[in-house]
Amino acid sequence: MVSVASDSLLSDELLHHLMAVGHVDVLVGVPTLNNASTIRSVVKAVHQSFARYFPRDRTVLINSDGGSDDGTPNMVRQHGSTDDTDTVTVSHSLRTVHRISTPYHGVPGKGNALRQIMTAAELTQARAVAILNADVTGITAEGIAALVRPVRDQQYDYVAPVYQRHPLDGPLVTQLIRPLMRAAYGWQVREPVAPEFGCSSRFITHCLEQDVWDTELGRVGIDLWVTGEALARGFRSCQAGLTPHPPGPPRASFGELFEQVVRSSFDCLERHAPYWLERNGSEPMAVVSPPPPTPVEPPTVAGSRLTEAFARDIENLRSVLEYILSAETLSTLERVASRQGAHLRFPDELWVSTVYEFLLAYRSGVMRRDHVVQALAPLYLGRTGSFLRQYSGAPEEVVEEALESLCRDFERSKPDLIERWNKSLR
Amino acid sequence: MSLPMPVPTTARQPLWYKDAVIYQLHVKTFADSNGDGIGDFRGLSSKLNYLADLGVTCLWLLPMYPSPFRDDGYDIADYYSIHPSYGTLDDFREFLEAAHTRRLQVVTELVLNHTSDQHTWFKEARMSRNNPRRDWYVWSDTDDKYRGVRIIFIDTERSNWAWAPESKAYYWHRFFSHQPDLNYDNPAVREEMWNVMRFWLGLGVDGFRVDAVPYLIEREGTSCENLPETHDVVKFLRANLAEHFPDRMLLADANQPPELVRPYFSEGDEFHMAFHFPLMTRMFMAVRLEDRKPLVEVIERTPEIPETCQWGIFLRNHDELTLEMVSDVERAYMIDEYARDPASRIYLGIRRRLAPLLDGDRRRIELMNGLLMSMPGSPIIYYGDEIGMGDNIYLGDRNGVRTPMQWNGGWNAGFSTADPERLAQPQISNHQFCYQARKGESQTRADHSLLNWMRRLISVRQSTAVFSRGTTTFLMPANHRVLAYLRSLGREQVLCVYNLSNSAQAVELDLQSLAGAVPIEMFGRSLFPRIGELPYMLTLEPYAFFWFRLRRL
Repeated sequence: MVSVASDSLLSDELLHHLMAVGHVDVLVGVPTLNNASTIRSVVKAVHQSFARYFPRDRTVLINSDGGSDDGTPNMVRQHGSTDDTDTVTVSHSLRTVHRISTPYHGVPGKGNALRQIMTAAELTQARAVAILNADVTGITAEGIAALVRPVRDQQYDYVAPVYQRHPLDGPLVTQLIRPLMRAAYGWQVREPVAPEFGCSSRFITHCLEQDVWDTELGRVGIDLWVTGEALARGFRSCQAGLTPHPPGPPRASFGELFEQVVRSSFDCLERHAPYWLERNGSEPMAVVSPPPPTPVEPPTVAGSRLTEAFARDIENLRSVLEYILSAETLSTLERVASRQGAHLRFPDELWVSTVYEFLLAYRSGVMRRDHVVQALAPLYLGRTGSFLRQYSGAPEEVVEEALESLCRDFERSKPDLIERWNKSLR
Repeated sequence: MSLPMPVPTTARQPLWYKDAVIYQLHVKTFADSNGDGIGDFRGLSSKLNYLADLGVTCLWLLPMYPSPFRDDGYDIADYYSIHPSYGTLDDFREFLEAAHTRRLQVVTELVLNHTSDQHTWFKEARMSRNNPRRDWYVWSDTDDKYRGVRIIFIDTERSNWAWAPESKAYYWHRFFSHQPDLNYDNPAVREEMWNVMRFWLGLGVDGFRVDAVPYLIEREGTSCENLPETHDVVKFLRANLAEHFPDRMLLADANQPPELVRPYFSEGDEFHMAFHFPLMTRMFMAVRLEDRKPLVEVIERTPEIPETCQWGIFLRNHDELTLEMVSDVERAYMIDEYARDPASRIYLGIRRRLAPLLDGDRRRIELMNGLLMSMPGSPIIYYGDEIGMGDNIYLGDRNGVRTPMQWNGGWNAGFSTADPERLAQPQISNHQFCYQARKGESQTRADHSLLNWMRRLISVRQSTAVFSRGTTTFLMPANHRVLAYLRSLGREQVLCVYNLSNSAQAVELDLQSLAGAVPIEMFGRSLFPRIGELPYMLTLEPYAFFWFRLRRL
């Protein structure tokens, strides 16, 4: 097979750098776009990781930048080396540590940055690769090692992160993406939307051969696609614990973020349908290193505000929802929305039916896809608000059990989804 | 003691040791003239033409004194004569004269720190607490003193103290328990050691390799290494040397990081030379890592030394490849890469010769010797390494790297006419490194043998003083597998470029400051393209290297 590691993706300057780097054992890639406030801590963690955990390995840090105008690339280039970083006086890389910052070309977006990093990884025959999120400050040397080691030492192809966080935190993941992906792909992955992950050269070669890169999914949903691709194509996968990352300033509104993530998950499911239509139930995915225990605080979002928005918007969206949802689901939703205040409860079964029917509508093209996804947003807020109100103040294990129950409900209803999916094909 | 008659010597050039190429050998295993299976000075004298032809300029002899040989002669029982197996003092005088005639300087061992427990001084000292020699050694009623001081031979010794039952006291020993440390707080000991030096210098010896320097003095609450009072002892000996024998040389054996060795040069009033141990380790590390970083780091970490001083640099010697002074990570790496067979490990090091360490790979042997001959310092070649001799890690202690020199394909490889079972050490019989495969005389005849390549290498090095006295400036091309540096002395400049890797490499060197110069490759004297403003492109085969003399033509 002809490799798709097309040289045209790489500038002459980058190619020049890669020639000097040669083959590597560990490559860490950091896509950036205006990350001046956080990039120093990320680069420092990378160097500490190389020195402490991979002192014998051939290592390189590649920063693929989307055109930052805040000096991010210079900060990567000028960051002190391993040996002059005050916190790394005991550990020491035996080898030269290479550090490259390069712009990527084409449409801005993480997909192109990741594609460039993966191409560089393929050319340098990197044994293990870790992709990091430059938006956060909490990445540590240990976290990077946790992503790399399973690939380097245990022949895993894909390593998803596991964060120590409160079960009420990250509802877009816990209420929607995690249970949906788990039910579909049949693997219990805690963080399917992973801006950080580890992977093998085998997996990278596979990814570069796919036709996703020039699509909308490749542009904005590459994190989810990578997870889905690893699961759907049978790459040996595991999870590794990372410390929680304090997020940087938000880069998109809730609406934009919701649309990107949900569209990406629906697009992934559409691409991987031949795989997941054949699967039932789910299997736990190995956690090779649990997240370091860290005290976590519950989020401070007021559930009541979300449910109020839900009750208000469902009225306005009725004409749209009629195209998307079955009459039964819609009427149940309306009944739920009509209950005011503390009485509003959005049950698991209803949420499962809602999500699955949105997925089917998205796929069948009853209307523009972005309209479908936008219409799901208020329902998601209603569900989240209901959950937050119900479990606010509850012990963490109780909340975890509720989330697990939701995942099982998604799995239980999957045969019905498959049947309707297959029918819609005919 | 009256001084012996000196042997005639060629005039020593000032700072001759700075330009020396030193050859380290063991009389015991070099050449046997009387067929008793043990090498001797007459045998060594008969091989001086070989050494002169090799191009070395100085011989460093391992201990040649009477000794019970429990530490290969580093346990001296008499400082004023020659071990009977090696011949007589007259034999030594004849050897010295023959060496000097061939413009070969001779450096012998001076074991300052300790004697054998069979030395008369110690035999007397241990007998009673009132013996006049008692205070020549370090005694204690308990073994509590200097607690925490590291034990050097961790495989064999449990304590730095040993019990002397005759006088019911403990004596201090940093090395083996049969090697009691001399007490340099006693001025009589210092005076006696100067007498020893004066004896051999009077004979015409050109210098001393001074063994185990950091350990001369003990003080409570310290590591008992590198103490200020140790420097006082060295200064005392050096001052006497400067007064009576100003053209002779002292070489320090101090296995320490360069910043801790630096004080032994002081202001040029202690040692003339000192071994650079970490550079040796880093050369091996760099080649295995295929990365210049370890080498650049260690040279950049090496402090400046006085103009009259010089580093002694080497690849291998009679001891293990020491890993005492490297980090745990570095030591583990070196062990994994160079000593997979546990039998090759001893103390904190690796008991192997150069060729077996490099799997007998001629390209890497040449590369390492190329590095050795161009790095700042006076290079030291360990006997037999110039023909790629092997070792036998199963001989115990470090005897496996001290086997008889392989001269030819004859009886005992030409080393001795004795029955093989009488040899001081057995010959190497390993198929790859046995004397049938590696022997001096046939390599002399073969144009492309390692021996002839080494001769050429030494001759090219000695063609200019830039290698021995020049400054070193690293170039840092993007390709880390390529090591490049500029040696400069006055108007003379030599560019050295090494491919440390097992694959062909391209490198672009920023030589803008040398624009206009023409590189002339020093081995083949080939002209290379003139250096311009653009990066200078070179390609190198695996483990290849270039030395370019830069000329303005």
